[in-house]
Amino acid sequence: MKIYLALTVASLKMYFRNKQALFWALFFPLLIMIIFGMMNFNKYSSPNVGIYDAANNDASQALIEALKGNSDQKLLSVSTGTLDELHHELEFGSSRAVIEIPANYGIPGEFAEIKFIYDERFQQERAVIATILEKVTDAVFKEAAQVPDEYRVENTIGISDSVITGQGQGFKAWLIPGVAAMAIMQTGLFTVVFTLVRFKSQGVLRRLKATPIGAAHFLAGQLTTKAIVVVLQTYVLVIVGAVVLGVSVGGGRLGAWFDLSILALLGGALFIAIGLAVSGWAKNEETAAPIANIITMPMMFLSGVFFPLSVMPDWLTRWSQYLPLTYLADGMRAITVEGASITTLGGELIGLGVWISISFAIAIKMFRWE
Amino acid sequence: MTTAIDPVIVAKDLRKKYEDITAVNGISFEVRRGEVFGMLGPNGAGKTTTIEILEGMRDADSGDAIINGINVKDDPIAVKAMIGVQLQQNAFFDKLKLSEIVDLYAKLYLAKVDPVEILSRVGLDNRKNAQYAELSGGQKQRLSIAVALVNDPVVLFLDEPTTGLDPQARRQLWELVRKIQADGATIVLTTHYMEEAEELCDRIAVVENGEIIALDTPDALIDQLLSTGFKPEKRVREATLDDVFLNLTGHDLRD
Repeated sequence: MKIYLALTVASLKMYFRNKQALFWALFFPLLIMIIFGMMNFNKYSSPNVGIYDAANNDASQALIEALKGNSDQKLLSVSTGTLDELHHELEFGSSRAVIEIPANYGIPGEFAEIKFIYDERFQQERAVIATILEKVTDAVFKEAAQVPDEYRVENTIGISDSVITGQGQGFKAWLIPGVAAMAIMQTGLFTVVFTLVRFKSQGVLRRLKATPIGAAHFLAGQLTTKAIVVVLQTYVLVIVGAVVLGVSVGGGRLGAWFDLSILALLGGALFIAIGLAVSGWAKNEETAAPIANIITMPMMFLSGVFFPLSVMPDWLTRWSQYLPLTYLADGMRAITVEGASITTLGGELIGLGVWISISFAIAIKMFRWE
Repeated sequence: MTTAIDPVIVAKDLRKKYEDITAVNGISFEVRRGEVFGMLGPNGAGKTTTIEILEGMRDADSGDAIINGINVKDDPIAVKAMIGVQLQQNAFFDKLKLSEIVDLYAKLYLAKVDPVEILSRVGLDNRKNAQYAELSGGQKQRLSIAVALVNDPVVLFLDEPTTGLDPQARRQLWELVRKIQADGATIVLTTHYMEEAEELCDRIAVVENGEIIALDTPDALIDQLLSTGFKPEKRVREATLDDVFLNLTGHDLRD
């Protein structure tokens, strides 16, 4: 225990005296956060709308297709799902409105009332969606008007509005947990790889082997240090990010910070283990750097750190949803901006757990003193 | 300290092969308590491999290495806990001060020491706040000896302690080795400087191709050679070029 404490304290001292490591751990992710946070990607995309189709018949399908527009003119980005899922998406900002198509839609002789629920904080988008909805239903109605007079009046479509005040905070809030997750990956992997590979190539590890301590002591000290660093780093990044970009974290729920710490520790453990495996394999810094980059670079772009997975082609997301960083970023985002808590996370925790087990198994096989 | 057992080191028929090279080919010797035992030989003769087997850093293919009564292959941790080691290539954590490095290593042995006192034994107390990278070659070697002393070792292993040092620093290190011997430690050192072996060692083993080809006191070895009728090529002078150099540049350390 005493040996473990001594090694932990010493490696913490070494870490915090290393200005370069601090730059990559804190200032670089903050810089990215702020630069991307100033961009407004919403401007260029069609608004996201959740459509609940209770009718599920030819007429309702035709209406949904019409609302999507065609390849020449894209109107709405449509997602489907259960009513609860769609309302949750609206509440936490991943869509701007929910359109509910009633069960009697398209049945001759019945009055179908389409419900339109929107987030009152996004009036501009509400106007766009409402206009599209009116135009499309109007067109459908006019088509219906082609039929003989006796059916015309009976085939009526109405629209009823209702309003919610959502908690979604837009792209800025979406970005912060993703960048924090990326920073955990970078810290965990790179600081472990570079310190261990340097210690190995310089012979520091060999000198430790001449002492009575085992590898376990030394590694435990290293892991504790990095674990402390990733949790502190997550706090700093999320707090500074939230203050600078003006968003709230976890809807103001204090427990969200505890949940974030747990995720940061899990993510830290995961990427430290990957780092240990890489540094066991690599002989020197020259071989370690490209491997570390090959592992981290694709994840930076494929794991939904800077932009959502939904903008990527399906064949790619089919794979990238299983990446370690995807699980971490999704989990941290669910807690910071989507109102989830650690107990309501399911797939993310399982995904992280599986990756942690795989990585540690490889790390134990690969670690070498010299 | 642990109970004194004499001889403090017993090496019995040590053998070690690396793929097709036989590094150590049946080496046996004993080291008495309190002596400075030298291993001499050209590079690649097997000195370092032998020493690393004694230190518990490498496993021998066969044979026994017994340090103070404990067989290294039975309990390498216990052996490591009572010896001090200076490896041929030493490196220590950067971003730590010298006093912090000594303190950390002391804790690895669960030893209670005053880091500054240890540093003063090797003449580095005035650099206690420096970092490892800032040290000169001689200072680095002295730090690695300081670190090897934290557990008050029964045996101190020094693997080529003066290689790459200038004559001033080398002489200072010799003084340090004598001082450590006077304090009661047994020292095993390797070198390929004959002058150093003659200066420091009570007994010398000459190693060649993984075998000990001669083992005796420096004087006895020289006498044996002379008794064969050997005559040195050059007339023996009263001083060496080393003395000339030191006379010109002074004995003071340059770091």
